[in-house]
Amino acid sequence: MIELKNLRCEFDDKTILENINLTIDKHLSILGANGSGKSTLAKAICSLIEFHGEIFIDGKNIHSLSLKEKAKTLSYIPAKLEMYDTFISVEEFVLLGRFAHKKSFFDYSTKDKNITKQTLEFLKIDHLKKHRIDSLSSGEQQLALIAQSLTQQSEIIIFDEPTANLDPHNTKIIAEHIKGLKEYHSIILITHDIHLASFLDSPVAFIKNKSIIYYENEFFKDENLEELYGVKFNSLVAQYD
Amino acid sequence: MIRYILWILLIFILLVSPFVGAVDIHIMELMDFNSLSSYIFFDLRLPRVLFAFCAGVILALSGLLFQTLFRNALMTPYTLGISSGAVLGAGIAIKLGLGSLFFGIGAISIFGFLGAILTVFLLIYLSRFLKSAQHESLLLLGIALSLFYTSALMIVFYLGSAMQNDILIRFTMGSLSVIGWQSPITLGIISSILFLSIYRYRFELQLLSISQTQANLKGVNTKHVSLVLLIISSFAIGTLVSISGPIGFIGLIVPHIITKIHPATVNKRIIKTALFGGFFLVLCDTITRSLSTQSELPIGIVTALVGGPFFIYLIITKDKK
Repeated sequence: MIELKNLRCEFDDKTILENINLTIDKHLSILGANGSGKSTLAKAICSLIEFHGEIFIDGKNIHSLSLKEKAKTLSYIPAKLEMYDTFISVEEFVLLGRFAHKKSFFDYSTKDKNITKQTLEFLKIDHLKKHRIDSLSSGEQQLALIAQSLTQQSEIIIFDEPTANLDPHNTKIIAEHIKGLKEYHSIILITHDIHLASFLDSPVAFIKNKSIIYYENEFFKDENLEELYGVKFNSLVAQYD
Repeated sequence: MIRYILWILLIFILLVSPFVGAVDIHIMELMDFNSLSSYIFFDLRLPRVLFAFCAGVILALSGLLFQTLFRNALMTPYTLGISSGAVLGAGIAIKLGLGSLFFGIGAISIFGFLGAILTVFLLIYLSRFLKSAQHESLLLLGIALSLFYTSALMIVFYLGSAMQNDILIRFTMGSLSVIGWQSPITLGIISSILFLSIYRYRFELQLLSISQTQANLKGVNTKHVSLVLLIISSFAIGTLVSISGPIGFIGLIVPHIITKIHPATVNKRIIKTALFGGFFLVLCDTITRSLSTQSELPIGIVTALVGGPFFIYLIITKDKK
């Protein structure tokens, strides 16, 4: 459970979000126009940026957690893989998720390697394990990022526009995996993809005018979407079959 | 296959190196400790080879470290102006005619170290004004600092006496000639400390080499790791430069060659980069000693002559991508 209390975020002296009070019970999809502050909210939850107010995860203030404790509690999956050193195989890349669990100085343990192996099999990408990460397609890279996040074994997983760079086929694969993860993890999804959000069927936080409009359900009604986005929607059918 | 031949060749050079130089060593005389051969071999050549090896290790490892932390193939202590800072510091000490200050540590070493470490802090302070991840601007800052230091050094020249200037000029060319075991052992200890601290953080560096944000979210204290390693490496560079003068391009070339012949993540390249750096500088030094018999070509000139064209090659191939 994540609680945001009087959250205010600024960027370059401009207020992006203010007076955010929200309790995320388990899952949440965050939607909103471009530049409305969706990613800022996600970064604040990860405490990657400075913010005013307080964030509690399972009752504990986020600032009281060590970096390793934080890594065991939440993981963040970026939209796109950005890396300098690309000489890394998928297997090695996924293993990095175990960093917070391994002893300092020592190598990753057999247990870490087994968890990596199982995760690769679970996501059906074990045939790619020896491939270099930069030789993968966007869809495969997204799966590798998810695998890395799963080996981290964090309770909360934050997806930052997971399908932004994907074709419909890969979007479907990723969407189904995310939905499957809802059973064991708390999923926070940031997206523009209304189909995806409606497929996941989590409560929605819509960011508008620096604050949040919270919808337990009712968000995906055509009239509501029209009002929020100012675009006509024709009965959104959220199915990937 | 080629890479194994390369490694064997370098180890061979390390073994042969002490026998190369202006004076021929007679192997039969080595056991006779009063002979000239024995003196040259044990008190000049061996310490020099050890010194060159450790210097190569420090330069190559610092290069690898800077390239990883700043995520740019052109980042080295040399291109960022840290070596120049050390040279200026040492130059001021020479100008002021300072001898040994504390506990037998030379004033030149201390001033060289201060020059290096102050430059690092200046860079860290200035980088706060840059938007995050603007490493190209950091590189420009380093180049600007280098130019500034060079001009400041010119003022030191201008004010210096002819004798001081002679020492200074020789110093700025870089030299690996040492007498006795004191500086090689000092450098041996410092290079070991640098190696061990980088090796201790090898998995942190592996994560940092991918993405700073992701490393942080995986549990790496990125600020702490970067700061500790930068300070240790500046300390090593400062000490090295204050003894040998600036030796350019090793830090740039060696990590890049290792990446080409052994493509792997940074944690698997630390040992290879350190060894290759050591071997490579011993090779360059052996060349300088074997080239001329009258007086020795300064090592900084040889590495820069090899490194200059390589630097250009690196820039051109990067632009093709």
